[in-house]
Amino acid sequence: MHPTTSLIVAPHYPTVSRHFDALNDSRVPAAPVLGAASSATLVACGGGGDSAPPPNPPPSAVSREQAARLLSQAAFGADLAAIDQVRSSGYATWLDQQMAMPRGQSRLEYLYANGFNAVEHKNTRNGISNALWNHLLGHPDLLRQRMTLALSEIVVVGVTGIAGLSFRSFPAAVFMDILEANAFGNYRTLLQEVSTSTAMGSFLTYRGNRKAVPAVGSLPDENYARELMQLFTIGLLELNLDGTPRLVGGKVVETYVQEDVSQMARVFTGWDLDASKLAGDSPERVQSPMVQIAARHEQGEKRFLTTVIPPGTDGVQSLKLALDALMAHPNIGPFVGRQLIQRLVTSNPSPAYVARVAAAFNNNGAGVKGDLKAVLKAILLDSEARSTTTLTDPAFGKLREPLLRFIQWARLAKVDSSDGLWRVGDTTDPATRLGQSPMNAPSVFNFFRPGYVPSASALGGRTVPELQITSETSVAGYVNYMQQAISGTGSLGVASGITRDYSALLLLVANSAALLAELNVLLAAGQISDATLALLKTALDTVVVTTPAGQLNRLHAALTLVMAAPEYITQK
Amino acid sequence: MNPSSNASRREFLKRASALSITGVAAPWALNLAALGEAAAANATGYKALVCVFLYGGNDYANTLAPYDAPSHALYSAQRPVIATARAALAGTVLNPLTALAGAREYALAPALAPLLPIFDAQQMAVLLNVGTLIEPTSKTAYVNKSVRLPPKLFSHNDQQSVWQSSLAEGATTGWGGRMGDLFAASNGNATFTCVNVTGNAVYLAGDSAIQYQVTSNGSVPLTGLKNPLFGSRACSDALRALVTAPRTHLYEAEHARIMARSINADVQLTSALAGISPIATVFPANNGLAAQLGMVARMIKARASTGAKRQVFFVSMGGFDTHDGLIDAHPGLLAQVGPALAAFHAATVELGVANEVTTFTASDFGRTLTSDGDGSDHGWGSMHFVMGGAVKGKSFVGAAPVIANNGPNDVGQGRLLPDIAVDQLAATLGSWFGVSNSELPTVLPNLGNYSLTNLGFMA
Repeated sequence: MHPTTSLIVAPHYPTVSRHFDALNDSRVPAAPVLGAASSATLVACGGGGDSAPPPNPPPSAVSREQAARLLSQAAFGADLAAIDQVRSSGYATWLDQQMAMPRGQSRLEYLYANGFNAVEHKNTRNGISNALWNHLLGHPDLLRQRMTLALSEIVVVGVTGIAGLSFRSFPAAVFMDILEANAFGNYRTLLQEVSTSTAMGSFLTYRGNRKAVPAVGSLPDENYARELMQLFTIGLLELNLDGTPRLVGGKVVETYVQEDVSQMARVFTGWDLDASKLAGDSPERVQSPMVQIAARHEQGEKRFLTTVIPPGTDGVQSLKLALDALMAHPNIGPFVGRQLIQRLVTSNPSPAYVARVAAAFNNNGAGVKGDLKAVLKAILLDSEARSTTTLTDPAFGKLREPLLRFIQWARLAKVDSSDGLWRVGDTTDPATRLGQSPMNAPSVFNFFRPGYVPSASALGGRTVPELQITSETSVAGYVNYMQQAISGTGSLGVASGITRDYSALLLLVANSAALLAELNVLLAAGQISDATLALLKTALDTVVVTTPAGQLNRLHAALTLVMAAPEYITQK
Repeated sequence: MNPSSNASRREFLKRASALSITGVAAPWALNLAALGEAAAANATGYKALVCVFLYGGNDYANTLAPYDAPSHALYSAQRPVIATARAALAGTVLNPLTALAGAREYALAPALAPLLPIFDAQQMAVLLNVGTLIEPTSKTAYVNKSVRLPPKLFSHNDQQSVWQSSLAEGATTGWGGRMGDLFAASNGNATFTCVNVTGNAVYLAGDSAIQYQVTSNGSVPLTGLKNPLFGSRACSDALRALVTAPRTHLYEAEHARIMARSINADVQLTSALAGISPIATVFPANNGLAAQLGMVARMIKARASTGAKRQVFFVSMGGFDTHDGLIDAHPGLLAQVGPALAAFHAATVELGVANEVTTFTASDFGRTLTSDGDGSDHGWGSMHFVMGGAVKGKSFVGAAPVIANNGPNDVGQGRLLPDIAVDQLAATLGSWFGVSNSELPTVLPNLGNYSLTNLGFMA
């Protein structure tokens, strides 16, 4: 979230040499993408409840490419049916329709339905990968699944970090189900359910956390208190509504100090597994929310930020007051809103765009703060996301995460799992797979930081989070893996039970230009240039398609080439 | 080498920086070429600096445990549940050439026993209480808030950043990368100056030097170029052109640059590694850190064909955030670290470069001495190791901190207030590496705050 990280440096490092200052200047963020002139056109498009209703253009006004663009930001890419839906409904109505879609089977239900509660799985993580891929590749509620994935990269739990429990897939599944259940709900509710989830309690080590015991010198674990503030709610620096740091006397202001962390840590004492639930050979206890054990809860005063929780307040009430305080903090709107923009639309949103989204977070138009429906609409209907002028801005957009590229291919290929087990497995290895796998970030800091600024680049100090996991190793590993996925070899071969349906695309394969044009719309929202398409057409035309094998070769090559194209990898 | 003598190179860096401010997508390869012209490629011999980063914040008190009876009693009293018994430490007691004041003694964690012979052979030193600082910091100054402190002490990513870069979180370059900036032009191929055998780390990012990432098995080739893409050589050729061509959009351009580097470096590194005979030293199996260090050793062995004269390497291991179950988990972690470091040192001896390779450990922070149940919490200063033939070993660097909760050397809970700054450690290593005194402040912007800039543990 650090749009101007260099500003953090200045107050602490005043002795930096002149030479070094010159080098540091490269970190100064670029000017906002949109200037004042263009922002005037945005007034009617914002998400704030006090602005005009969002545009809902008549069907003819939305091109196939524009519809596909929305689907690349709000879903997992396009298919012909979805494009038609967006074009006939208009953007806003399509979002409403998506938000109204029923939730399917939960991940928890999936685990039971597939027998992962059997005792043989007790000391394993079996099932969670299958459940996660089942949702990402198979469930039809596109916007909800995309938003759930985005939330899982802000409020992070890594499956491997859920330690010390039996049936570890179950708390992990429940955690993702919580994010999904609240994807169109309220962020305050999400925080409540996350904070009492066994998954988060284990991952950030406050499950079993006890009040201070002076006799042995033990103090409450500060892990969750710190990350809850730093990563999930308010961040390190006080922010303006537009996400830029609030300056006082020219200096940034820290949101909290160590004493706030120590004090808030006292809130997160006394939480543990619910002993009234079945344990042993049943996952019931680890899938249930944690409960308060009063004797372990710190009963003394808890004083942090501007909040004072009086002595004697119990654990449940203390949690409520703490989360209410974070939810009331002016940072939370721009802090969460900017990260959601980065996950869905663009790495370097203009401050005005952030401000419009933060305003929607702060007030959904009915006086409610934290309504994620309003936030999503503000993000996706904003003219910075929809305007075709941003398509020609050389700094607009984002790198598609490798995970999103893979899901996009799978959706396009109508991938199915013959046994329902979605045996895609762990895709974390950057050398052979995606460098990223659902719920498998290496730490609570996600796969990449929202404020990551690449060095030794020509990016002018801009943040490009996904470049943090883009390396000489990963760029090759990704293309190699996609080549296997597309053609059904390697780990996604016949034995995986993963099937593809290319029947619609094969109808076009005799005409390379038509095939490429279709892939350009469906995968890249028409953002691949004519010059690139011409380069690929010339090569694909050399693949003889007089046999079924030849037809598949041309299709596989076309898919691999399009998905390797920098113009595809960058979502504009 | 005296890089600071070359004013034109410094001017170039400023110009390069200015270019990047404007966001002009100047082909970076061109800039590197210009750097090569501007800098004196006169580093002689070979030297490598290897950073072993222990992600999560290594527990200092169980890594280097107090051993003399009074100290061990204090240590046990502060962490009754998670202390290592004194009897278990008897086999790994460190006997330095110069004893510590006050009859203080330390023992390595039993799992680090493979390091004891290296210490005894005077090829390893132990740094007592090193950590992130901005300027010398006394307990009084800390309490009175009269001293500048690194932002967000005790926080993982913030202190990782300060350790690796001497700058606040969000820094784009680290001190390993900034050393790389100075020496890249000395190397036959600048790409192999800063080599990361694990995930992206700001430590290795330079202003101009890139951090080149490889796996424990080396570089990854694009199979679509190695073999005809779905049987078509024309498609392979198109793939190469497609993924490497310069682009106007900034993110596309950066991706293409990384891809081009990946393809070119893979060809060179694969060839270089194919040209060396296997290293005889056995690296322990099922040990990720050892595998990473094994690749470092192979790249060092292949230095003649890569043309490398100065290299900065980065390897890492995770799992050190031992809030819970420390007594179960921590020995297992160190049981990876000890044998991995020992094998790597043996390999440098085998290759005849023990005096040219210096390895040091680092971590987010130390942890608390007191317990948060059956683990320890985020701390600050910590104990670390420096290993190599050029190290004045069998020694302690710094003073043994008082073992206490809120004593003179800790800020509460046994969170050590660092006595040695990371900047001082880095400057000492940098001087050995060949960074001149006048260039050190460009690598370590806060170094001017310290009167002692060489801790003297390097020969």
